[in-house]
Amino acid sequence: MAVKLGYTNVYRDPLGFPAWKAEGHPFETASRQPAPVTAPEKDYGSLTGWAMLWTLLGIFLGGMALNLTPCVYPLIPITVSYFGGRSSKGKGETFAHGLCYVGGLALTNSSLGVVAAFTGGLMGAMLQNPFVLSAVALILLAFATSMFGFWEFKLPNGLTQAASKSYTGYFGSVFMGITLGVVAAPCIGPFVLGLLTWVAGMGNPYLGFLVFFTLSVGLGLPLFVLALFSGKLDRLPRSGEWMVWVRKLMGWVLVGMAAYFIRPVMSQTMGNVVLAAVALGAGLHLGWIDRSQANFKAFGWMKTVAGIAGLVTATVLIGSMLMAAPGAFWHPYSDQLLKEAVVQKKPVIIDFSAAWCAPCRELDEITFRDPEIVKRSKKDFIFVKVDLTRKGNPVYERLLKQFDVRGVPTVVFINPEGKERRDLRLVDFLPPGSFLVRMTKISRPLTDGPSN
Amino acid sequence: MQRTRTTILAVLAVGIAVYALWFQSRPVVLKTATHEDVLAEAEKGGYRLIDTGKLWEQYRKKPNDMFIVDTRQEWEYRTGHIKGAANFPMEPTWYSRWKERGAMEKFLGPDKNRFLVFY
Repeated sequence: MAVKLGYTNVYRDPLGFPAWKAEGHPFETASRQPAPVTAPEKDYGSLTGWAMLWTLLGIFLGGMALNLTPCVYPLIPITVSYFGGRSSKGKGETFAHGLCYVGGLALTNSSLGVVAAFTGGLMGAMLQNPFVLSAVALILLAFATSMFGFWEFKLPNGLTQAASKSYTGYFGSVFMGITLGVVAAPCIGPFVLGLLTWVAGMGNPYLGFLVFFTLSVGLGLPLFVLALFSGKLDRLPRSGEWMVWVRKLMGWVLVGMAAYFIRPVMSQTMGNVVLAAVALGAGLHLGWIDRSQANFKAFGWMKTVAGIAGLVTATVLIGSMLMAAPGAFWHPYSDQLLKEAVVQKKPVIIDFSAAWCAPCRELDEITFRDPEIVKRSKKDFIFVKVDLTRKGNPVYERLLKQFDVRGVPTVVFINPEGKERRDLRLVDFLPPGSFLVRMTKISRPLTDGPSN
Repeated sequence: MQRTRTTILAVLAVGIAVYALWFQSRPVVLKTATHEDVLAEAEKGGYRLIDTGKLWEQYRKKPNDMFIVDTRQEWEYRTGHIKGAANFPMEPTWYSRWKERGAMEKFLGPDKNRFLVFY
């Protein structure tokens, strides 16, 4: 590679450092570089990069799909003819009305999202509580049964009527957009509520706005396009049985969200099995068991795709669980063990974690499965796990005070002399590479070789 | 008809998913490179090889005239490296080579005739 950049005197020492050290040539352990070349540690608290893009794309598609629910779909011709009727003057005006409509829709939804995110600090703390998590999951499940058609979710009549009044002019279009949320609430409400809980858990107002803005654009765009080409209206498939299928799809999405929320309450294996079961159930129901038909071809494909997506998700969930690499070797805590570590001159890493904390899981699933870390956990280090899922263990309570642990995850690094290196302490997820750097800093340094 | 199609496609998709999972998490046995492999690689990359003895000779005479680059991961570098070597973590994939090329040029400096040793 250096050759490609134009350097001429390029050599490679294939035997590398081990051979150099074996010959007794000078080496050192401290870093000579003022600044490490490795990338700065990223903020893992929120969505970034590709994950963000995919999430937003999914939400956008979800918004478009909401158009197909029985509350919104019948409104499409009315809304479109409303735009078409007032724009005898041309496409330009229809376009402007459409913009107002989507803008109004985005206004309601986005403010909902931002408000939810601002309560995030509170909600975030609440969402760590197993009882709250179970309650949220139960509510989501209840809404899901509504989507499946067991009962009808209805808003008070007055509200619906006030919302369906029509006004004229551009304001009228904005108003229609604002109130679409209310009219369509029985169908999209449960979905929006689920999304709100999720956004609140993330506690980022900017993200809250973005998520709901994307949802509104997805919801409004089809209407917008149809309004521009109102001649195409009669080519839309008729309302019918297939819309009930779409409702069931939304219902399964809610069941999935419920499973996602209660996952931290259960053991890791159990959580994965439940999620996989939901995916399997959704796939079988939507792809095979449900017999609804439609008079347009694409519907058959929609069912096929939904069925396959469910089955593949279940396979991936179960498969990755079965094929996961072995994890690090953990000792249970005892005072004896720490004393023994000092005698053996081994550094100790204590991981304070709990089943309901997401970054702890990430540490367990990614960092503590890294082959090098697993190897060292058995050889040069003593890894201790303190599980704080249930309160009340007196030994653990004492440890919390002793190490001044304020929350989970907290990873404490203790040097071979038995003293904590406070500067290395970790309170969030850290990828394996950076974790190994910390492990290296704590382990007994090699004494520097002869200096010539 | 519709169901048959869905079933066939689903079986296919699940099969692909299982294979992809297995492929991703299969145990990888790293082959220890033989001397011939190393020679062929050097030929392809257009660089020369140096052994520990030769490197030591050069190093002893004029340690400041050469630039030694440790391409291992940062934590490996920290556990011990040739005295004076600088760390530039590289993964042996074409993607990371392509991604890091700008940083590498800056790291190696403007002198294109510098005596460079990688390990």
